Amino acid sequence: MKNYLKLVDFELKRFINIYFVLIGLTIISQITGVILKSRDYLERANVAIYENSLSLEQFISQNGKLSIHQLLQTGWFMIPIALSAAALIFYCFLIWYRDWFGKNTFIYRLLMLPTARLNVFLAKATAIFLMVLGLVGIQLILLPIENTIFKSIIPVDLRMDMPLNEIINGAGYGYLQILIPNSFVQFLINYGIGFMMVFILFTSILFERSFRIKGIIFGIVYYFVAVTVFLFPIMAEIYWGFGYLYPSEIFVLEIILGLLITVFSIWLSNYLINQKVTV
Amino acid sequence: MIEVKDLAKNFGRKKVLKGISFTAEKGEITCLMGINGAGKTTIMNAIMNLTSFKSGEILIDGEKLNKHSYEKITFIPDAITMLPQMTIGEALQFMKDFYTSWNEIRAKELLEFFRLKENEKISSLSKGNTAKVNLLLGLALDVDYLLMDEPFSGIDIFSREQIANVFTSHLVEDRGVIITTHEINDIEHLIDKAVLLDDGMVLREFSTEEVRENEGKSVVDVMREVYQR
Repeated sequence: MKNYLKLVDFELKRFINIYFVLIGLTIISQITGVILKSRDYLERANVAIYENSLSLEQFISQNGKLSIHQLLQTGWFMIPIALSAAALIFYCFLIWYRDWFGKNTFIYRLLMLPTARLNVFLAKATAIFLMVLGLVGIQLILLPIENTIFKSIIPVDLRMDMPLNEIINGAGYGYLQILIPNSFVQFLINYGIGFMMVFILFTSILFERSFRIKGIIFGIVYYFVAVTVFLFPIMAEIYWGFGYLYPSEIFVLEIILGLLITVFSIWLSNYLINQKVTV
Repeated sequence: MIEVKDLAKNFGRKKVLKGISFTAEKGEITCLMGINGAGKTTIMNAIMNLTSFKSGEILIDGEKLNKHSYEKITFIPDAITMLPQMTIGEALQFMKDFYTSWNEIRAKELLEFFRLKENEKISSLSKGNTAKVNLLLGLALDVDYLLMDEPFSGIDIFSREQIANVFTSHLVEDRGVIITTHEINDIEHLIDKAVLLDDGMVLREFSTEEVRENEGKSVVDVMREVYQR
């Protein structure tokens, strides 16, 4: 356990600089977005009311009140989130491959540590999970701050105030709802599926690292088989519409399948990293 | 004792190890020799469970390698096993954090012996100094067995001499060493046993002392006989 925690700490430190850059970019971009978009709206209101002699009501009827919900749909918000998501997906590969490639072969050291090799695997997965949760946490802290900035720029007559949960639920394309679900069960489902996908991906990577060219095929096949098995109950209902199962039964089945696939991926990865992996 | 028994491995259809067997005793230096592609590094990796093998068995003091074995046996490959962005001090700290067999006093001694500074970044080191750091990381562990893959490869003559001096010092004393090298001249007089490999097979395994005393031959003489046959 101690070695596992040390490895998690080590893995986090290895990505911390890029991670801070991602956090910085998100904070700067979103706050800049709030300020610029709010000022832009206020400027339009000023021009309309003071230069074009429109009444406040007329301006509102033409342009509507501004809500933070509208700001969340702009690139200032979505691009840093997309960038962070892309960086973390890319990092799921990099977290393994950087240890094999380049001038320094750190994988020798990791595999020769006097600890279960599964700890290396789990530490890498945990580092990814913590980084994802960290970014989501930052977003959760940022939203009320951004809402406060928004309120400080836009007068009450011109804005539509929303509580935090409505801001999240109403965000464009529902992207914030995926990241910050409004119930604990939904949180477990969203992140459970995400973490299961990370474990499947890690197993596929270990297939490649164990069998090289053949391993690429094994890895891709494993990934698609695992995802297909997981989605099978839902897909079967959608395409064939058997109607044998109630939605609540499909839900339980999905949870069981998700847990089984995750446990199987960890078991298979443990076998590969102990018996098959090659430096 | 390290026992390698009938070790076989394929890379695709190519048989890279064809039933390799040899032993390496504690307190002895065993040298694996052979041209590139003879299978030396693959054997080292197999001993450390860093690559799988088709058949055969490897025992360390009668036991198969497990996670605890890494406190008893260590491998110094020909590339550094630490991150380039680390300083030497950070690399030493990493070892200290994970290995109970880490010997802090010996690590300091080796730093002085190799004239290395803890605040130097690994990425800024010369090839010779990188090899020395790699050696330091292995030698500062209180292990019974040391495996070294081409420790003299591509480094300058002064670094080579310094590394060769390690073998005659108390740093290696009483440990079992398996070394692979092309630079046999640097350590010919130090090795106790030689295993000559070619095309994934052991061509000859011999005690250097016996060959010297009974046949009046050096290791290089035997190599010439075996490889130029």
